[in-house]
Amino acid sequence: MTRLPKRPGERIDRAREIAFEFDGAPARGFEGDTIASALYASGRRVFSRSFKYHRPRGLLCCAGQCPNCLVSVDGDPGVRACTEPLREGMRVEHLNAIPSLDRDALSIVDVIGRPFTPPGFYYKTFKRPRRLWPLYERALRHAAGLGRAPTKRPERRWRTDYRRRHADVLIVGGGPAGLAAAARAAQLGADVVLADEGNELGGHLLHTAGTERARAMSQCARDAGVELIVPGSALGYFDGIVAVWERDTLHQIRAAQHVVATGTVEQPLIFAGNDLPGVMLSGGARRLVSLYALRPGNRAVIATTADRGLEAALELLEAGVEVVAVADLRADATGGAAEQLASRGVPLWRGVTVVEACGRRAVTGAVLAAVDATGRPLPGSERRLRCDLLVVSGGVTPAASLLLQAGARSDYDPSLGTLRVEQVPDGLYGAGEVAGLGGEEGIELSGALAGADAAHAAGFGDEGSRDRAEEERCRLGELRPPAAASAEPPSLAHGRGKCFACLCEDVTAKDIRTSIDEGYDSIELSKRYTTVTMGPCQGRMCQLASIRLMAAETGQDLTAVGATTARPPWSAVPLGALAGRPVEPAKRSAIHARHRELGGKVMWAGDWRRPYDYGDPQAEVVAVHEAAGLIDVSTLGKLMVRGPDAGAFLDRLYPNRLSNLKVGRIRYGVLNTDAGRIIDDGTVCRLDEESFYVTTTSTGAEAIEAWFAWWLADWRMKVTLTDVTQALAAVNVAGPNARKILEQLTSLDCSNDAFSYLDGKRAQVAGVPCLILRIGFVGECGYEIHYPVAYGEYLWDAVLEAGHDHGIRPFGLEPQRVLRLQKMHILVGQDTDSESDPFAAGMAWIVKLDKEGDFIGRWALEDFSGREPDLRLVGFELRDGNVPAEGAAVMGDRRTAFGRVTSSRVSPKLGHVIGLAWVPRECAGDGSEIEISDRGRRLTATVTTKPFYDPEGERLRS
Amino acid sequence: MTLEFLEPDRATSASGFDPVASSVLEPHARAAGAQFELRERWRVAVHFGSVEREVAACRSAVGVGDLSRLGKLELQGGAPELAETVAAGTRGAELELGCALRIEQAWWCPFSRERVLVVCAPEAVTALRGALEQATAQRAVNVIDLTCGLAALALVGPRARDALARLTAIDLRPARMPEAGFRPGSVARVAGTVLRERGDHYLLMFGSAYAQYMWQQVIDAAALLGGRPVGTDALGRVSEEVSPLA
Repeated sequence: MTRLPKRPGERIDRAREIAFEFDGAPARGFEGDTIASALYASGRRVFSRSFKYHRPRGLLCCAGQCPNCLVSVDGDPGVRACTEPLREGMRVEHLNAIPSLDRDALSIVDVIGRPFTPPGFYYKTFKRPRRLWPLYERALRHAAGLGRAPTKRPERRWRTDYRRRHADVLIVGGGPAGLAAAARAAQLGADVVLADEGNELGGHLLHTAGTERARAMSQCARDAGVELIVPGSALGYFDGIVAVWERDTLHQIRAAQHVVATGTVEQPLIFAGNDLPGVMLSGGARRLVSLYALRPGNRAVIATTADRGLEAALELLEAGVEVVAVADLRADATGGAAEQLASRGVPLWRGVTVVEACGRRAVTGAVLAAVDATGRPLPGSERRLRCDLLVVSGGVTPAASLLLQAGARSDYDPSLGTLRVEQVPDGLYGAGEVAGLGGEEGIELSGALAGADAAHAAGFGDEGSRDRAEEERCRLGELRPPAAASAEPPSLAHGRGKCFACLCEDVTAKDIRTSIDEGYDSIELSKRYTTVTMGPCQGRMCQLASIRLMAAETGQDLTAVGATTARPPWSAVPLGALAGRPVEPAKRSAIHARHRELGGKVMWAGDWRRPYDYGDPQAEVVAVHEAAGLIDVSTLGKLMVRGPDAGAFLDRLYPNRLSNLKVGRIRYGVLNTDAGRIIDDGTVCRLDEESFYVTTTSTGAEAIEAWFAWWLADWRMKVTLTDVTQALAAVNVAGPNARKILEQLTSLDCSNDAFSYLDGKRAQVAGVPCLILRIGFVGECGYEIHYPVAYGEYLWDAVLEAGHDHGIRPFGLEPQRVLRLQKMHILVGQDTDSESDPFAAGMAWIVKLDKEGDFIGRWALEDFSGREPDLRLVGFELRDGNVPAEGAAVMGDRRTAFGRVTSSRVSPKLGHVIGLAWVPRECAGDGSEIEISDRGRRLTATVTTKPFYDPEGERLRS
Repeated sequence: MTLEFLEPDRATSASGFDPVASSVLEPHARAAGAQFELRERWRVAVHFGSVEREVAACRSAVGVGDLSRLGKLELQGGAPELAETVAAGTRGAELELGCALRIEQAWWCPFSRERVLVVCAPEAVTALRGALEQATAQRAVNVIDLTCGLAALALVGPRARDALARLTAIDLRPARMPEAGFRPGSVARVAGTVLRERGDHYLLMFGSAYAQYMWQQVIDAAALLGGRPVGTDALGRVSEEVSPLA
């Protein structure tokens, strides 16, 4: 009978049974049980199969630290059964065993697989013949691993909620030190958050007869106003932000001060068969007894290096377990627990440890012996005992990952027999066992003091509280009880079986020796080669052991060996939690809904969603040439540049003159860098003496605004700059009927004489105040109407209605690209790159080197003006119908790639293929032939330097 | 008179045209069941089917209301000149960074010593803009109407701060964000501002091109907490003076 009679402090509610499934079979437990405790109560002892060798594994820590009880719950793998609360109807399944946990076919690997799976086996075996590697890989992946992620998710069953939380003090760890820190900091007035990864606050108090104390301290923290996040795993320290994962919520906590009270992790011992079901850490055994009223075994042997093993022995005795013997490696183990054991007639053998666990599928016995410094049993000292439970304790290591991620260091302390945290950065405090404290009074006092220090550093408290903290500091110094000292367990394990250093990755002590022999003789190299510490426990169970093994094998001091770098996440977290919900900021124009209604094919254009076409891009092109087209160009960047120095400011930014622009006129401008390279283009319209309206490319708007602002800050001119991109919608109506359409909507004189090409006028259009720019990107008479987005759809509808009888149709980005290509208008970023200058791009006319005063890139442009560029941007035509891919290479002489195609399309108006390309200068003249290498074929095209359509711009200016 | 093409209140009904202004959030409000009315030439979402339920949401969780038609005027200029302009507009009061100032029907929100955003009731924007343009005529301070450049959402209710905490890392704790607190920052990964008008009433502003995206993010965050979209009728009921709009 595994379940014990009712125990004080037990977590289970025996009046409430819960039904669930394990591997398809019905199972039962009590409310308050975990999956593991319920299964253990039912008699299950094998909970998983190991990663590589498929060895049976049983409960070890019962605290969520080791990999031995990983299961799948409701299809989600990677759940630790020992901490996951039982729920009605749960479907629990084992992970990596075929067909079952008790009879796994792949356990053959344990028997014969060793020669094939040494450390780094993927570099040694399974590599010939090379062509079979894909097959080997598939087989190996299928055989190894810890579960399968679902490949389908018909409906997302959960979502991650993100919550940003600021706090004055964040406490990580809800044991006695953390609770004391939280209460104290909150009592001093700080805004405190406490996160603990357990299901209940109290830490080690819960399984060491301290439940009442734990509950009292929790209530004290609540009463002080502490926000408790339980269960909440602190995943890592990210430059001052601590991410805490609580069920479906990822808290991003920014605190002024942090107290880390994460306690310690009990360490296993290394000996032959140390992974058998029935081998359990002392804390694990105690948790089963005190929290779940379970008898871990009937006949136990204890092997320990510290007092906690002795305490566990006493608790097991009290639970009715026969304790056959206790082996304490410490030669001088004394104290209350030892005396109590003696009084109860339990043999306590000092200077003795376990060297072998016997059994095949579970522990049936243990071999104890005295060992030498190398871990070899002393002849004649071996004692073989029969047992079904082997409780071990190899001391502890501080759970200091958060502190280390934040910049603290850990060094080995021989007096403690474990790692010690030091050099904790400002703003962080270690408290309790993680800081090397021991004893209940010392642990709580260190917590309270850390809480006070944190609150004081955050600006809370007063002289009285500071005085009190100093007194407590002195008291702590007097107490200064060290963490319970433990003996150094033997580092070399010799035995008649596998001695596991890393349970997660099935790495044995011999594997680590092999890695050192092969030259991977530093802890970081050995880690990467053997994968020790890289499994689900992330080094909790094996970091210290691997350091000891490395030190023993290499002869180095433990402090010289060091430890591997601590990295987040400290606890397993679903990738979906980190990815979160799909959040993709997208900009849309105020007319977006209309585009959808009209059948627009909406796609990404930079960070905007834009219609590429409305179903027939070729017809849309033809409509612009023969009647009228309407395009939404709201995405254009729009900047208001105002002030007495506005003209001079623009003259400094652009290579052409803008200060002499007349009011109501527009000029095209190209922006370049200090090195004379093109970064953007657009138009500038002068609104009045001190006001200019600048447009940029859609994707360049923010960068250009930043560019302008940066230079303005440097030059300190009397200019204000306002980004009005999102304040104004803009539509372009273009085509031979554009004027007639506009005239129906406005009283403005739209005749060519009154409203010429490159004029900008303000007028009401359909009752809406507008700025109308007569410019052309698409080669036909066109009007670009800018107006408040509040009338976005209204004005779009009005133009379409007015143009209905004139054959207007909306057109999208794709037809616009064809139309602009016909005019050889460049697209910055597509037809140019970071090296393109205006001269090579055929825009020498825009650079006014005779301009007075300096301007951005002047020096470089002067240099370019005196040189022949190796490559020039030119147009080309192909009449054989082949459309070269954008990016296709233009071949130079000697048949090497020398240029590239940047744009290419079929022009429905012209009836053949046109494009832009960078070509060698010797081929850049009109009529020259160029050879394009495109997807395995060679195409011959003819160069032209004039626009393909309406080269003189007559239609544009009509 | 140079920049009237930025000013939505300049629209006129004439020659058979009768322009009606609409919020960039209108399509999404409509999809959520909003009912609209015409108010001062704006089409306004007045409720989403039940004013009572919306009021209840504002009192128990969080109500999200579209206030994009609030007038928004940007003042930009040298620090001394801007300070003079502000003093003239605020009857001598000074602006502190991080804190907005409520003067009559307008909030004066400082971005920096050279840039202030004045947020006002829609019916007040014409007069206020005119007054500011007059006040700045002799000073090197520019006034630009950004009413349409920034969309605005009111988040009202006891869970408003929790909803915002799902969207922004701005410290909204009452001790750090008192009433009238004004914080530019990142909201749902785009540039935005949060104004705590009073109590549990917050005004969130962001670029109007992000309307659909922000509506989705904010409504999603609110819905998790039992909140919902609300119309101006409910907003007006929950407080005597929710915002300059009321």
